[in-house]
Amino acid sequence: MSGGADNKAGIFSQAKRIVIVGAGAVGLEVARQLTERGETVRIVDDRETGVEKARAKGFFVERINLQDDEELKRVGIGGEADILFALLDEDASNVFLVISARAIAPALPIVSISGAHDTIERLHAAGATKVIDPYRISGYKIYERMHRPIIAETLEHTVFGKVNLDIAEIHVQKDSFLHGKYLDELFIEERYNLIVLGVVDREYGDQLVFATDPKRHRMDSGDILVVIGPEEAFIKFHRDLNADNK
Amino acid sequence: MKASDLVIRLAYEMDESEAYARAKQAAYDLLENPHSRIRPYFDLLMMALVLSSVFLLLYSVKHHLGAWSGWFENMVVSFFILEYLGRMWVYSSAHRIILDEYEKSELINQPFRLSRALWSVLRSKWSYISSPMAIIDLLAILPSYRPLRILRLFLLFRLFKMFRYAHSIQQFGSVLREKRIELFSLFTFLMFVLLVGSSVIYLFESPESGGQVEGFFEGIYWSLVTLSTVGYGDITPQSFEGRLVTMVLIISGLGVLSFFTSIIVSAFQEKMGEVRDRRVASLLEKKKGYTVICGFGRVGQVVAEYLSRDKLPFVIIDSDGEAVELARRLGYLVVEGKSERIGLLQMLGVGRSAGKILCLTGDDVVNVYVTLSARQLDEKITIISRANQRQSVDKLLHAGANHAIEPFKIVGLIAGEYVGQPVAFEAIHGIVMGENDITLEAIRVPPDSWLDGKTIGETPLEEMRLILFGVTTPMNRSSNHVRNHFDLESQRFQFNPGADFVLLGNDILLVFGHKYSVSHMRQQLKSGRMER
Repeated sequence: MSGGADNKAGIFSQAKRIVIVGAGAVGLEVARQLTERGETVRIVDDRETGVEKARAKGFFVERINLQDDEELKRVGIGGEADILFALLDEDASNVFLVISARAIAPALPIVSISGAHDTIERLHAAGATKVIDPYRISGYKIYERMHRPIIAETLEHTVFGKVNLDIAEIHVQKDSFLHGKYLDELFIEERYNLIVLGVVDREYGDQLVFATDPKRHRMDSGDILVVIGPEEAFIKFHRDLNADNK
Repeated sequence: MKASDLVIRLAYEMDESEAYARAKQAAYDLLENPHSRIRPYFDLLMMALVLSSVFLLLYSVKHHLGAWSGWFENMVVSFFILEYLGRMWVYSSAHRIILDEYEKSELINQPFRLSRALWSVLRSKWSYISSPMAIIDLLAILPSYRPLRILRLFLLFRLFKMFRYAHSIQQFGSVLREKRIELFSLFTFLMFVLLVGSSVIYLFESPESGGQVEGFFEGIYWSLVTLSTVGYGDITPQSFEGRLVTMVLIISGLGVLSFFTSIIVSAFQEKMGEVRDRRVASLLEKKKGYTVICGFGRVGQVVAEYLSRDKLPFVIIDSDGEAVELARRLGYLVVEGKSERIGLLQMLGVGRSAGKILCLTGDDVVNVYVTLSARQLDEKITIISRANQRQSVDKLLHAGANHAIEPFKIVGLIAGEYVGQPVAFEAIHGIVMGENDITLEAIRVPPDSWLDGKTIGETPLEEMRLILFGVTTPMNRSSNHVRNHFDLESQRFQFNPGADFVLLGNDILLVFGHKYSVSHMRQQLKSGRMER
């Protein structure tokens, strides 16, 4: 998770088309960061004041009626949108939006925020793929700052910070040198200066298994590795992967 | 002249003597200082002495006690005398008053008059002696002096001494003091009714006219008994006029009683918040390094939840009644009020014993203001503030905050990660939030332990199923076995050090692992052995 990842979308995947609903403080901040990462962002809101404020700050915001399914379809929900963010200030509005969007697009990943703790379950029930609780995260960050200062400082300066240390996922392809190998015979830590945090081993399910797991994991196509490392290490690793493919 | 020279020299010596100042400070801490640690114990001891001496007095009415009770009484009284003199001593500084007189007379070039100086000393001490508390103290001592044995009744005055030591009784007194105007008018009314009632009953119920009231005192006694709705019935009115007055007295008695009750109740209700706040402050008095949370919104609630899980002391300030009610229901220490008020922050120990202050309101203006006030009160306190807008971060840091947290920026970071790499997102989200069993933990290498001087390759990290993220070392350490390092504020983070990297004492290992593995590792470091 880093700021030094302006070109990450370019290296790792195609730019995604994202619809952000809600032009409040959260919506605009998310829009700003996603735009920085090179994603295609479309912001919509239904309140005149919110739209104008956002426009004054230099964001392009479309005003649509969020209760009208046709208008939701028009901005890409159920169509070309890859991800929907429901970032309205009111919990009830978010729940309503998530329900409408889920009805239109059953497979669309929907991320929402919750203001109160008990809304999280409701949003999940309404069909949200992921619910982020900004206040819980902030509260935990503050707590960590106070009582685990070394961890907080390290994370802030490395993974969350401006330096080029990233967490990324690597998808194992059929013809790459990873295919068929056991994790512990690859020596990724030493060869590439990348730390393997965990794997999604399809033999055991779709869950992420941490590398602390005592089982030996064999990499097959479709498996995913989650690794931490500096940008140049990723570039080298990808070069080797691609060289293999040819 | 000789005597006054001697006195002044003595006064100067006292003024300069460190031992004297220390002794006086110790006495002040013991007797008067509301913030001292030792005073609550002293108060408890004195309360025990008061209660046991009064108990002995009551017990001796029907029982004969041995010689030890005399000894005990003497001990108690000598304690009281010492306390009385001690309080008089710390009340004002006699040598300072003399020196002030002397310096003043030097300044205006007048001869120094010892008698005048002594007179002002006496005056200042007299103002102590004549204070209500000191009079009670004296009355608690005097009855023990044999020739004044008649005053034994006054021994009960010792009970009043409890006022000094029990904080709650003092609060009761202060509540009553605030309502003195209402109480006074009620008292005047009561006196008036009493006077009228007893005069009337005295006139109409005299023995000559067949009644039972023989003197005016009996009239007052009867009126009061009737007015208070006690009504013993030992004296009953016989005449028509007497009965008429009884009815009036009963009705006005009900009024007086209910008026009195309502004054007391409303006084306590008005004072309730203040009493509660003071209780919070006195509970905090005993703690050190606690956290003050300004704003009990969603972020404040989460922080409080984590702190109370770890049993760490904290206190909450919020101006919103609903939030305060919620905090109170959850059993947290809370004060209702605006955190912008410097007095409130001071009452909660900012600048004295508070270790951290968190400004977490949803209003950046308030957060900046509180940050600034807190920094002014205490240079060393840790301040963490919430920045609701990106532009506020610099302002908060400039106002003196150690850290500023941006809730919406974190959402942005996480959202961005989710868009790009949902699997990695799950991993980091879990670790960062500490919600999984797998956590990121810091393990310090104790100097001279078995880990000190080992290379990474020799450590049992892999067998313990810990993944090494990196090592933090002092700034100046560089190593050929590290390909990337990142400088933190005062330390250097060596990312993924190679197998030949040598660990030294006070280095910190940052490891991912199951929390059991981490605590196992910590335990082995503590026990000083490495078990394979």
